[in-house]
Amino acid sequence: MSIITQNLVYFGIAILIIIILLIWAYTTKRLQQDFNTLTWTLIPVAIAINVVIGQIVVTLKLPVYLDSIGTVFVGVLCGPWAGAITGMLANIIWGSIIDPNAFPWFPVAFFIGLVAGFCAKGGLFKSWWKVMITGFLVALTAAAVSTPIAVGVYGGITASGSSFITAYLLQTGQNLLPAVLITNNLVEPFDKISTALLAFAIMQGLSTRFLARFPRPQNVEVQKGVNWVQIAIAVVIVIAVLAFYILVVVKLTSQ
Amino acid sequence: MHERLSFYIKRNSFLHQLNPLTKLTLTMSLVLISFVNSWYWTPHLLLLIMVIPLSYIGRVNEPFFRTFLRLILPAASFLFLMQAFFQPIGDSVIFKIWFLDITRESLMFAFRNAMRIVVMVCSFTLFLLTTHPSELMSDLTRRGLPGQFAYVIISTLQIIPQMQSKAQSIIAAQRSRGLDTESSLLRRIGSLVPLVGPLVFGSLVEVEERAIAIEARGFTSTHIKTSLHEIPDSNLDRVIRWILIFLVIASLALRIWLS
Amino acid sequence: MAIVNLQNVTYKYPLTDSPALQNVSLQVEQGEFVAVVGPNGAGKSTLCYTLAGFIPHFFKGELTGMVEVDGKDLQMSSLNEWVLNVGLAFQNPFNQISGAKYTVFEELAFGLENIGVPRDEMRPRVEDTMKLTGISDLADRSPYSLSGGQQQRVALTSILVMQPRVLVLDEPTSQMDPIGTREVFGVIRTLAEKGMTVLLVEHKVEWIAQFADRVIALHEGQILLDGRPSEVLTSDLLEGKGFGISRYTSAAREARKMGLWKKENLPVTLDEAVEGFSLTPNASPLGRGE
Repeated sequence: MSIITQNLVYFGIAILIIIILLIWAYTTKRLQQDFNTLTWTLIPVAIAINVVIGQIVVTLKLPVYLDSIGTVFVGVLCGPWAGAITGMLANIIWGSIIDPNAFPWFPVAFFIGLVAGFCAKGGLFKSWWKVMITGFLVALTAAAVSTPIAVGVYGGITASGSSFITAYLLQTGQNLLPAVLITNNLVEPFDKISTALLAFAIMQGLSTRFLARFPRPQNVEVQKGVNWVQIAIAVVIVIAVLAFYILVVVKLTSQ
Repeated sequence: MHERLSFYIKRNSFLHQLNPLTKLTLTMSLVLISFVNSWYWTPHLLLLIMVIPLSYIGRVNEPFFRTFLRLILPAASFLFLMQAFFQPIGDSVIFKIWFLDITRESLMFAFRNAMRIVVMVCSFTLFLLTTHPSELMSDLTRRGLPGQFAYVIISTLQIIPQMQSKAQSIIAAQRSRGLDTESSLLRRIGSLVPLVGPLVFGSLVEVEERAIAIEARGFTSTHIKTSLHEIPDSNLDRVIRWILIFLVIASLALRIWLS
Repeated sequence: MAIVNLQNVTYKYPLTDSPALQNVSLQVEQGEFVAVVGPNGAGKSTLCYTLAGFIPHFFKGELTGMVEVDGKDLQMSSLNEWVLNVGLAFQNPFNQISGAKYTVFEELAFGLENIGVPRDEMRPRVEDTMKLTGISDLADRSPYSLSGGQQQRVALTSILVMQPRVLVLDEPTSQMDPIGTREVFGVIRTLAEKGMTVLLVEHKVEWIAQFADRVIALHEGQILLDGRPSEVLTSDLLEGKGFGISRYTSAAREARKMGLWKKENLPVTLDEAVEGFSLTPNASPLGRGE
């Protein structure tokens, strides 16, 4: 089986996993806990935030996507399942009104919301440095899930600028799958950590009374005090882990 | 303010009369078959004998071709070139540009891949051109999609243009105060904050009142929902859907059997 | 039997110390048009939300006392049942648009779809209610393309079409321009005349004085006064507490101190003021009372 087909199969498996997860969450009532009426009115606004900020970023020619701020926001404030569903719906809508090339990426959006939500449930959204860790974890997931899609659906080269990195890696003899994986792991952390931080900053600006209305306000109780040392340590840790990760990936996949 | 809520264009055509689910099935089938079928020329053929004729049947050929030339062709060409140049497959080098080898294999590979993407994007474009979102949502809700999802999708489609015009006016206001979209990276990052702030907070405040408003209209009612409009679903629709599903499964089976 | 019955209702929002409503008791008969006035923070919106069931079900917090509408007890009902009992419209017309529909007609049918009204009943119900509030010409427009006054009338209609027993309106004209205000007041007056039980929170006392059956003055979470508009709105008790007293009342009060106001009751509206001042003997156009 060619590598393309192999990754198409992974894509299919990812879709299956999503369906199974959703059915499980629904039947065990976990999914419903993330939703009250406010969730349903928040999600359209969150998706709109995804779209509009994603487009502003293009206008400002910044080297990031920042198209998942709303997804992370819902994942933290309402719960992982709400975040996951927000991601998927955002993806479908982006594909419907902006660029149908976005459609195949819905599993990525699903997992971004899901992981952000679970991190928040685990208390990882209560201070700046914890938020950075959440962003990093989300980035890892996004990179992992988007790689098979990029390879299976697009043959490794997507319509975004990061493909040049992939192209370079391919020219230097790297195999397709690792090349895409490395590219994604380079691109995602910066984007997703910024995304998480922006979502966090937005939450800081909202009143406790307002936040209390949503299903999971406890995820956002602020631990007062910005500790610059903590942030510095967090940045160093994140970069170190990232570098280590990439080295490991490159080592494991170079054949 | 130009409100482009969706691609939809109202026409009197066969496609427009089809049930939304049928059109969705058609789109998905085209995509799946072009990706699954092992015969090399599948996507090309589908584009020529299905997608393009359908755009005429749906009387949306003009907007379709406009979108094709403006959005799809450039993206597909980019993909094609990138893959042709940078996928080091095969040995029969056709020509060299500087240090880049273009092999016959990579050309063929790129051609098919790009065409698959083209078929995918074109099918969805066609679907969106001929299907009104509220019709699609009504139909899916009737078939069991929870009403909340239909609510979210339509509501999002209406909120996005509003937020976009809000963003435009904020950007215009910032520009008049010296925001530069051409200046240094750091400056540009810094200018993101005064853009994001007012936009986001203004929209979030509405969320609570809107929740009260829809609650007051029975959003969380436990009664079985009814719908104002009836979306017709003819026998022809059903037949078409079954044929399409059959074709997809056949393609899949063929693929598995051949490998 | 009163259709609205509040007994000793006290309510505290979550995370607050002082109650927003203290020991509020009031009864409203069917068909009565009751206006509620009060300074900011008096608890007017809280009262509206309580009647509409959003307190306590949406806002949580501590609610004690009895809230009864049409014989049903709020604490024993769920919010989605209660909204069929009591309809609520509030200040911002834009936020009351559901966003789920592309035309006004469909927007009005939204509520009916949610509660499972049969399809053949929906259309006539929406059409009749549109006629009642005078928005039949807006049927095919997008709700977002309307003016504030039009949107507010659509919001009112979309609540009315659910056929609640009581209508609660929380400052529906605060964000309207004068035309919008006139349009909305027109609709409210029609509804009141048709026998709808209406509770209206408003600042525009002159209008209330003309059309309301009863006025309740709310202050710091308690009912200060409850009676006829001409009595409540001109009462000396309202002075100095932040109530929006009509300028005609204030003017006449000052005039009375100088002995220039000869009537028993103070005026609220311009007409009453003109009538009253014209009774003053030796009143000259230049106003030099000697």
